[in-house]
Amino acid sequence: MTHYILKRFLLMFPTLFGVAVLIFLLLRVVPGDIVEVRFMAQGQYSSEAVMAIERAKLGLDKPLWQQFTTWMWGLLHLDFGVSMWTGAPITEELKLRFELSLQLAIMATVVATLLAIPLGILAAVKQDTWIDYAVRVFSIAGLAMPSFWLGILMILAMLIIFKWLPPMVFTSFWVNPWENLAQLIWPALAVGYRYSAVATRMMRSAMLEVLREDYIRTARAKGLWLKLILSRHALKNAMLPVITVIGLEFAFLMGGLVVTEQVFSLNGLGMLFVEAISHRDYTLTQALVLIVASVFIFVNFATDIAYAWLDPRIRYR
Amino acid sequence: MMKQLVGFLAVVAGALFAIPLQAQTPQYGGELVFTVPSEPPSYDGPREQTFGLIHPIAPHYNTLLRVDPTDPTGTKPIGDIAESWTESSDHLTFTFKLRRGVKFHDGDEMTSKDVKASYDKIIFPPEGVASVRKATYLVVKEVEAPDPYTIRFKLKWPSGAFLQSLASPWNFIYKADILAKDMHWYESHIMGTGPFTFVEHVKGSHWVGKKNPNYWDKGKPYLDGYRALFVRSHSAQVAAVRGERSLTQFRSFTPADKEALTNAMGDKIKFQESAWDCILLVAINHTKKPFDDKRVRRALSLALDRWSAAETLSKIAIVKDVAGIQVPGTPWATPPEELKKLTGYWPDIDKSRAEARRLLKEAGVPEGFTFTFYNRGTPMPYEPLAIWLIDQWRQVGLNVKQQVVEAAAYYGTVLRKPDAFDVAMDFQCGYIVEPDLDIYKFISHDKNDDNYGYYTDRVLDELYEKQSRATDAAERTRYLRQFERRLLDEEAHYLMTLQWHRIIPQNARVHGWQITPSHYLNNQLDTVWLSK
Repeated sequence: MTHYILKRFLLMFPTLFGVAVLIFLLLRVVPGDIVEVRFMAQGQYSSEAVMAIERAKLGLDKPLWQQFTTWMWGLLHLDFGVSMWTGAPITEELKLRFELSLQLAIMATVVATLLAIPLGILAAVKQDTWIDYAVRVFSIAGLAMPSFWLGILMILAMLIIFKWLPPMVFTSFWVNPWENLAQLIWPALAVGYRYSAVATRMMRSAMLEVLREDYIRTARAKGLWLKLILSRHALKNAMLPVITVIGLEFAFLMGGLVVTEQVFSLNGLGMLFVEAISHRDYTLTQALVLIVASVFIFVNFATDIAYAWLDPRIRYR
Repeated sequence: MMKQLVGFLAVVAGALFAIPLQAQTPQYGGELVFTVPSEPPSYDGPREQTFGLIHPIAPHYNTLLRVDPTDPTGTKPIGDIAESWTESSDHLTFTFKLRRGVKFHDGDEMTSKDVKASYDKIIFPPEGVASVRKATYLVVKEVEAPDPYTIRFKLKWPSGAFLQSLASPWNFIYKADILAKDMHWYESHIMGTGPFTFVEHVKGSHWVGKKNPNYWDKGKPYLDGYRALFVRSHSAQVAAVRGERSLTQFRSFTPADKEALTNAMGDKIKFQESAWDCILLVAINHTKKPFDDKRVRRALSLALDRWSAAETLSKIAIVKDVAGIQVPGTPWATPPEELKKLTGYWPDIDKSRAEARRLLKEAGVPEGFTFTFYNRGTPMPYEPLAIWLIDQWRQVGLNVKQQVVEAAAYYGTVLRKPDAFDVAMDFQCGYIVEPDLDIYKFISHDKNDDNYGYYTDRVLDELYEKQSRATDAAERTRYLRQFERRLLDEEAHYLMTLQWHRIIPQNARVHGWQITPSHYLNNQLDTVWLSK
């Protein structure tokens, strides 16, 4: 097991390096630069001379290899550098947003897991009954409705019925839990519902597959209680694909909730990502891509370990 | 009985008069919460261009002059930290007397040394310091501080726009000692003399300011503080106003937002509207055939039914008035009756389009001639205006395709590349209504990088200079009319679409703020107050 974990861990580094090279080059290929966005987007006059000063200040006048080595050297020292747009250290830009995005991802995952696992099992066990149909309708509705749209409906409902809108400024859970939850519970429900729909369907089909296995039939033939069969024999095996889905969705939530963050006016990583790209803020975009890639890689790593724990055949392969 | 009736009437009349009086008496206290659809990249006014800086940061500063906060035209300069000023008879020296007792937020007194250092940074920036508005002050030869309460500007030539340029909302008065130590300090710090002191900036979230108890303008500000919420999503901004999480927004809402908020909030919401010193222009690339031919350019203008568009588009987009080179309703603007004499502004659209067809035929442009119109990927109001333009040109036999380019790449891949486009949408937005700023864009390309028609017109250049140096208003108006006629009629170098239209929502509790044509003006918040 240790050898397996070490191997998977070491594989993370070349992957991250590949991501770094790719994002560095891709950003330079995309047309437009930060100086143009900064000085020309507002419809006011800007001279080439002023823009040249700004480009030099940002190091954009240097050759690409030099820009790349400077960035990589910083990364080796765990220094992401400063945002080209604000001039503030990137760690400062990320700090607050990371806390919000992480909390929202965890809350949405909890909502999704609490809904998906029992509903998926129930639908599989009661296959082709009204319970199964109800669960299927519930999950297909979740898939069909984008979470941002559900978010808009929630906001409208709160405005029209309760004349109330969630707080617009993020307060840390540790400072004021009530204010924090009043802001984040709604996007967590909207995102968690959609997230649960994917996981519910996965749970149902995986469970159905496992329930048809020989060892389940044997367990039933031995007269074991259904609850025991499900919890001890079926669930562990059926969870494998569900864990993959939950893991990947969690990683996606860390940077991919752009529209939902807009709808609920959340100051998260998704919005920061969009702004960094639209401003052509190379350093910030590079840092964000690396962070999101790291989350994906780490979640995959954790999923692999969970696989190995759930299925001993994997670790010995 | 008569006495009772008189008494009753007196009470009613008293009540009627008392209500507005009471409503107009400023009340102290409260926090003004407003949304800002953008965020300051840095905190340094002279370095930036976005209103995302002005809206949250202007309340921390004073400027030498400011635009009168009660003037709806946004053109009248008054003293801010300047108490009074004189102009020499040759119009080459402006001397300003500064207010005494103006203190920075750290308690130090503001003197002419600080004003000089602030203006030197803008006009004569040291190497490596970007000053985007340096070009506005080419006229300035020298800034002098003869004594602690006097500041003097010496000009190279007379300028009719100089006072207005000193009322620029960007020209914050900084502390000389700080600038002497570090020219970049103000990019990430706040230290001003304004009505509000800095509390915090949480990036991506909000900005907070609190009342400056030592403000030089005794009795102001009225608010205890303000909180600017950075909200990008337009629907979230509207929801915030509706849910009373935000009391206003100082850029603009759309006509649809106005209707929705009025229906939902009734008398809890009010609106102020004004022509907006922003306009979408059609840049016609003179280096491309057949657009080098002024007959073709004039035909493009003649095809546009601006007057009916003003009625229809204003219902769905943030545009309204038909305009020449100046914001309608402001002192330098051409009155509509005179405007109607220019090519493309004729009220009879059938006659106008017949002339357009004739000119196209004469220039050898065949029926169904196809070209691509490049547009910036910003929905409002670029999208509806582009659809309108394409439809109008279709009606004179032109076949126009639209190519939308992502906003961040638009200038670099389209407008700044003369080989890349034939006709494209361009944009102009002023921070103060002043001809020098508003029409500079149209002088020859070899004098101005921002002219995307890529033409050279020395007559226009000369007229620009003449109007700029005219110190007599009537003389300046005459030159401006000539400039307008040459630009829009005789040569049709650029086409104006419709003037943008500002709609500012305000919770009924907000008072003391006057809309102007610029969303960069009137953001010090010293006059704003909230009713209980």
